[in-house]
Amino acid sequence: MKRIIHFELEEVRAPREAVLDHQGIPEDAEVPHRILALYDDAASQFASLARPRGMIAEISEAEFREVFPGEGNNADDAVVANVFPKADHLALFAATMGGEVSEAIADHFDKNEFALGVMLDAVASMTADRTSEVIADHYHAQLIAEERATPAHHVLGYSPGYCGWHITGQRKLFAYLTPDKIGISLNASCLMNPLKSVSGVLVSGSIDVHVFKAGYSYCPQCRNATCLSRMERLMASERGSA
Amino acid sequence: MDLLKEISESLQKGDDAKVGELTQKAIDEGMEPKVILDDGLIAGMNVIGKRFRDHEIFLPHVLLSARAMYAGMDLLRPLFLRDEVPSAGKVVLGTVQGDLHDIGKNLVGIMLKGAGFEIVDLGKDVAPEVFVDTAEKEGASIIGMSTLLTTTAPGMVRVIEIINERGLGDKIKTIVGGAPVSQDMADTIGADAYGYDAANAVETIKEMVGV
Ligand code: B12
Ligand code: SF4
Repeated sequence: MKRIIHFELEEVRAPREAVLDHQGIPEDAEVPHRILALYDDAASQFASLARPRGMIAEISEAEFREVFPGEGNNADDAVVANVFPKADHLALFAATMGGEVSEAIADHFDKNEFALGVMLDAVASMTADRTSEVIADHYHAQLIAEERATPAHHVLGYSPGYCGWHITGQRKLFAYLTPDKIGISLNASCLMNPLKSVSGVLVSGSIDVHVFKAGYSYCPQCRNATCLSRMERLMASERGSA
Repeated sequence: MDLLKEISESLQKGDDAKVGELTQKAIDEGMEPKVILDDGLIAGMNVIGKRFRDHEIFLPHVLLSARAMYAGMDLLRPLFLRDEVPSAGKVVLGTVQGDLHDIGKNLVGIMLKGAGFEIVDLGKDVAPEVFVDTAEKEGASIIGMSTLLTTTAPGMVRVIEIINERGLGDKIKTIVGGAPVSQDMADTIGADAYGYDAANAVETIKEMVGV
């Protein structure tokens, strides 16, 4: 069954630290007042422009086995290939912030308001990024409500373009999920429109399903700064609940 | 204080209104536009560029200064005859076909302008022929291509092929950048250079044109 979710902004909004960090400002830095004022301005513009929404469709392991190989470009030892056969439940997802915010960013550049344009871009990018986690929480809550998972299970999202799952894998993912219903389309080079969108598979299972060692042949080229910290958070949450 | 120094310092503070006001004052006092540009605006932007590279200031600060630079440039531009706008070199810049990401490319353009380059910004989703046609028409010596996706890399290869087909390899050099691009990838596709970030792009392009 396909499910459309309209997020409350507060639910998905990325923390200020993440937005500043995306622009190279570390958490412990003393941030000048006018940069904070720029952030406030961008955050309030984002609040009036963003239409965060997402879509989930459950998929059986057999069906995902058809979707995952995409167009045959995946790496031999892709992370998802190791993860999904052990999962209890799988669901495809996509989420977007809508197109209005990208138009506003372009408009700021046209008017030479570069700092505000980049700040708004960072707010939108980081919020889109965070939405993958929030949509995973929604799916987890659904599984708990339907007594198909417990709070001790973990639901994590894995996206094409990461971990050896080739970005062209999005074509089969889109054919199954049909996220045009929430206004996301895919172009010939597998870019989603609107720009501030994410897609992937939600994997539900015990912690053992998700734990893997980053260090695959393709990891050195990866620019994902959160992979290992996500893993650490997972381990910490497990230790905390034990 | 020396007017040019004041322009440079206001620019470094990101005070666009003040930079506009002081640039107008310098023009009214009959100062040479090229002197105002080089010793006021670009001098200020050079300090900002260096402080950014040395991690003394953050990106938003650089961008506020860039806006102040443009406020001064807008007043100077009409004073230069069309072909006489002094420039360190001309760069055609764009995001390759199939890609709509442009924040990174825009940052590269802003920093290059700050360093005195003339930029022809083709925007995003730019077809390979358009890069080369524009560089030929504008007499640009550098084509800068940006992409955030590996799937659009063939567009970069095609630009390099067209340059070679037209025998322009000596006149037009290419530089590539964007998140999934690396020096390795630049070497593989035969690009002349790779730029890691906007500050590095400026340094590399300066070396390429010999300024
Ligand atoms: C933020 C981010 C997002 C945000 C927003 C993206 C955006 N920019 O609007 C969100 C969360 C929405 C997102 C989504 C996705 N993303 Co993303 N994303 C990133 C991330 C972390 C940063 C990109 C960014 O905005 N950087 C800030 C800007 C300013 O930097 P920049 O564009 O790189 O530009 C700088 C340099 O590259 C250089 N430069 C740029 N152009 C040029 C040009 C020249 C000539 C030169 C010299 C230099 C130069 O200078 C610039 C300034 O310093 C990168 C990874 C990374 N750390 O870079 C992945 C990344 C780009 N994403 C990636 C992927 C796969 C995706 C998704 C497909 C994932 C998914 N399935 O959901 C989607 C696709 C979205 C879509 N619309 O289709 C991959 C792309 C890899 C590939 N195989 O092509 C990356 C590289 C991550 C990875 N796997 O390593 N993403
Ligand atoms: S570093 Fe992590 S996110 Fe990046 S490819 Fe390796 S496993 Fe995947």
